[in-house]
Amino acid sequence: MAPLIPQGFINPDLNLFFAFVIGLGFGYVLEQGGFSTSRKLAGVFYGYDFVVLRVFFTAAITAALGLLIFSYLGWIDYSMLYINPTFLWSAIVGGVIMGLGFILGGFCPGTSVVAAVIGKVDAMFFVVGMMLGIFAFGTFYKTFEPLYNGYDLGGIFVYDSLGMSRNLFVFLLVLIALTAFIVTRKIEDSVNKITTDTRFFHPSYTAPVALLLGITLLVVLLPDKPKAVWNEVSAGTILAEAAEGKHNINSDELAYKLLHAEDNDLLLVDVRDSEAFARFNLPGSVNMPLPGILQDNNLKILEKSGKKVVFYSNGTTAASQAWLFTRRAGLEDAGVLTGGLNDFFSAYFADSAVRRHDLNPEQAVFFTRFRERAGKAFREGGAGEVQGRSQAPVRTLVNIQPPPPGKGGC
Amino acid sequence: MAPDKPINQQLLNRHRVVVPKKSNHMDQKPKPYMNPYLAGFLLGLVLLTAFFVTGRGLGASGSVKSVVVQTVGKVAPAYAIKNPFYASYFAEGDGRPMKNWLVYLTLGVLGGAFFSGFMSGRAGIKVDKGPRITTRTRLIMATAGGFLFGLGSQFGRGCTSGAALTGMATLSTAGFLTMIAIFGSGFVFAYFFRKLWIS
Repeated sequence: MAPLIPQGFINPDLNLFFAFVIGLGFGYVLEQGGFSTSRKLAGVFYGYDFVVLRVFFTAAITAALGLLIFSYLGWIDYSMLYINPTFLWSAIVGGVIMGLGFILGGFCPGTSVVAAVIGKVDAMFFVVGMMLGIFAFGTFYKTFEPLYNGYDLGGIFVYDSLGMSRNLFVFLLVLIALTAFIVTRKIEDSVNKITTDTRFFHPSYTAPVALLLGITLLVVLLPDKPKAVWNEVSAGTILAEAAEGKHNINSDELAYKLLHAEDNDLLLVDVRDSEAFARFNLPGSVNMPLPGILQDNNLKILEKSGKKVVFYSNGTTAASQAWLFTRRAGLEDAGVLTGGLNDFFSAYFADSAVRRHDLNPEQAVFFTRFRERAGKAFREGGAGEVQGRSQAPVRTLVNIQPPPPGKGGC
Repeated sequence: MAPDKPINQQLLNRHRVVVPKKSNHMDQKPKPYMNPYLAGFLLGLVLLTAFFVTGRGLGASGSVKSVVVQTVGKVAPAYAIKNPFYASYFAEGDGRPMKNWLVYLTLGVLGGAFFSGFMSGRAGIKVDKGPRITTRTRLIMATAGGFLFGLGSQFGRGCTSGAALTGMATLSTAGFLTMIAIFGSGFVFAYFFRKLWIS
């Protein structure tokens, strides 16, 4: 159901109102956490005050775990969240510049705003500096643009980049954070020359430690796929695949596979309605009408077939839609019959052969010969009742006999 | 050694050291800060709420950018249309860079932070600085740091909140890269600029 505004549960006009309300909470927590003083913020770099690390890490993990749990429970559709795109070098260069800015200025943008409003003069200067910095970026935008827009890796996830599972990564992240909490407490005490409670389970972090570990284990051990599909393929990936079109197969490839059963690794899926399917279908195909394509049992059949799924309809539109939806739902190996049944028929049941001028003469001869032979096999190979072209596609193609081995083919 | 190092209020609170009462000005003392883990947990919930409601996280530098874009658009509209950095706001957008999610978020931040600072007795004109530098140096450095942060946040497509924190919450590679770059380089630079912060 969530996110609420993109899903239409809340009027988008209220977007800005919610921004303000969320901002109130953001500002309040930052100020209460001690982010309104540059001395405290800079402390993380010198070891005398690690409040930034504690708040920052706890917040990131809380939100990350929260999103995962919401996703498992089906409360939030992860694919509708804004995932920061990764522009590799731009992110690194920007981060390093910001690191230097942090040391010199003692603030980051959010904290400077928080500090400025409660009267910290240094924060006000920082904010002015920020405006100048952004203005400088705008002024030299053309110079920076190649770096800024280069190395676009898209909205990728860190666990994919590291080549590990999401659950393992989250678990390690929490472990690293907890270790950091304990180690930094010790560093902080030694820098400030105070000896405190040296017990491992210091009271100020036992509660968060226990809570975080508990929740993490819960997330890591949850067996099933999240209800709101985490594994949904991103729109960008699908767009790129659709543009490339590698997954599709054309009439000739299909004909070849139909005639060579030993090479047939296809699961043909007819996405037309059951009436059209009953009148005619390709051998070995199953019927999954487009409106119900995303039903659980359909998806299960497709995913567990172990074959390449090829959607077909009369044309390409419905089949492409079926591909789009199932691909989005995570189906890996799937494609579309290019041109649909109409193209298939015109290729193999046409009265006159198509001449391919884009092939070299020898290949063109093979092409024409393959089409002729395959067409013959389809027509004569069994109960194929060849009727007038005007009545196509009411034909039955069953018991197709493959041509003698070694003769057909392209 | 710095004999006049100010008392670290947080440490005092954490270890429950009783501050000797010099006078009856106790009511003017700022309240202690929140437990950082609790603050982090609450901040995480705020971030989660932002995702739950709007599908996006938090951010701060974006609103400053809006102010810059708006100013440039008002002062030099011809230039703003010509420069692709600004033009997207005026040519394609609705021409109102201030009517923006992050701007309203920041307005909320101002409100929330002021409320918190005022109620906890921390509001007041003040400059926080390291013990070895003058106020003038601190203000120059703050401006320089702001400049760098403004510049860097454009490359990083967000700052500590928008890129690092929000990016980490969604487990995006960009978020972790930016976080590591900010804090990693920060620790390196910290050595060279230690005079600014420590005695």
